[in-house]
Amino acid sequence: MGSRQITEKSLSMLRSLPRITLANIRDNPGSKITQKRGRGQHGGDKHGAGNKGSGQRQNYMRLGYETGNNPFYLRIPHENYYRGHHLKREYPPMTLLELQKLIDRNRVDISKPIDIASLIKSGLYTLNPDQKHFGVNLTDDGADIFAAKINIEVQWASEQVIAAIEKNGGVITTAYYDPHSLFILKNPQRFFETGQAIPRRMIPPPDAIEFYTSAATRGYLADPEKISQERLKLSQKYGYTLPNLESDPQYDMLTDRKDPRQIFFGLQPGWVINLKDECILKPKDEELLQFYSM
Amino acid sequence: MATVLRTHSAFARLLVGKNGRILNNSLDLGAKLLPESQLALSSKHYSSYGKSPFVRKIKEQYNYEIEKNPPEWEYVKRLLPFTTIPKIIPKDSYPSGWVPPKEEALNHPYFLSRTKNAELPIYLKITYRGMRKISIIRKIEGDIWLLNDEIKQYLKQKNKRYVETRVHEVARLIETKGDYVNDLREWALSKGF
Repeated sequence: MGSRQITEKSLSMLRSLPRITLANIRDNPGSKITQKRGRGQHGGDKHGAGNKGSGQRQNYMRLGYETGNNPFYLRIPHENYYRGHHLKREYPPMTLLELQKLIDRNRVDISKPIDIASLIKSGLYTLNPDQKHFGVNLTDDGADIFAAKINIEVQWASEQVIAAIEKNGGVITTAYYDPHSLFILKNPQRFFETGQAIPRRMIPPPDAIEFYTSAATRGYLADPEKISQERLKLSQKYGYTLPNLESDPQYDMLTDRKDPRQIFFGLQPGWVINLKDECILKPKDEELLQFYSM
Repeated sequence: MATVLRTHSAFARLLVGKNGRILNNSLDLGAKLLPESQLALSSKHYSSYGKSPFVRKIKEQYNYEIEKNPPEWEYVKRLLPFTTIPKIIPKDSYPSGWVPPKEEALNHPYFLSRTKNAELPIYLKITYRGMRKISIIRKIEGDIWLLNDEIKQYLKQKNKRYVETRVHEVARLIETKGDYVNDLREWALSKGF
């Protein structure tokens, strides 16, 4: 084979092969000489294994063994209360006093339903879904001074908090969001700019289903009739008269709730939000509609 | 946020890598892959994302409509972040105990401006493992020395002891030795700041 043929062959190979980059180049064959293990009287003295002992005999001690000492990994007692800590959900707290302060300073709009997105938007509450944060835990500090009529959706709330909000004629719901939805809720603008369709919200994990289907905790999967029963029960327990929701001028706002599969108020899963042209792309295909409605 | 395979149409996006494995995303394709384009995806490895070619054989099969000026845009607007910190609308009462600054605050030869979150700029600095406590008043405008004298007198009267202070004219702050944050807040609110 002549040299021209070799050139043409290698050029044709180059054309069909992927582009040469740092990731797929290697040295020319034979350009590197690897060190060989020496033999003979002085060439092969110790072969880098040192003199005597386990180094030379390659019979190393087991990992953590301290030649007779009580080893470090056994010296400290096993602390079992940390078991499964990496799987536990965290709900960073927010007090009712803080919420009232946000309302007083017009950081959240109480004429609209409040959810985790509007709390984060206020700039005075942060959430890190990548650090196992699963939403806001509304705590009862400042329950006595709380005086706003709101429709709020939180991820965790105690009985006192529920009572404090319902006493003022408000509505509270506890709802679960999966971490992916929380990332989207944390910065909706950034998500819309990616041009992806709004995903569905996932259902709660097995150990959280009980909380979110219970009417006593105002779960979003609970039966609405049972919730109204529980509202009355709680008002009797804490001794306040329950304001009538039906005759309220803000009835529509107070009863506005998200679908269990919905992430944002008023925006359906499957829609693509175009911020630049201010338009919404809505799927019409039967297959897609069925997928997003499930 | 998401690794999206480059395509020509907005709807036909394929989520690959980690994001594709998230249950929410895995089926959010918006377009179906033809068998040959799937082959092209799986069999070839490109040195980097930027050098990989456009995926061409994706056929947009899903039907969608573009709605301009939709009524739902109000919900989108609600989600967009504040461009500026919202102005506080005056109310009859503030149940949280927050006090708005008053008009009379402008009549003093000195001025304490509120922080961006409308709080008083009075802080406690704890150092040396809680052994040294220093209360700091920041954002002072005007006659800082007069303000210093008045604070000293007020704290002495209230706590019945001499209180050391230090004035930093350039940084416009006054430090007082000891935890007097509540007293100072009380004083600032009484002056209308």
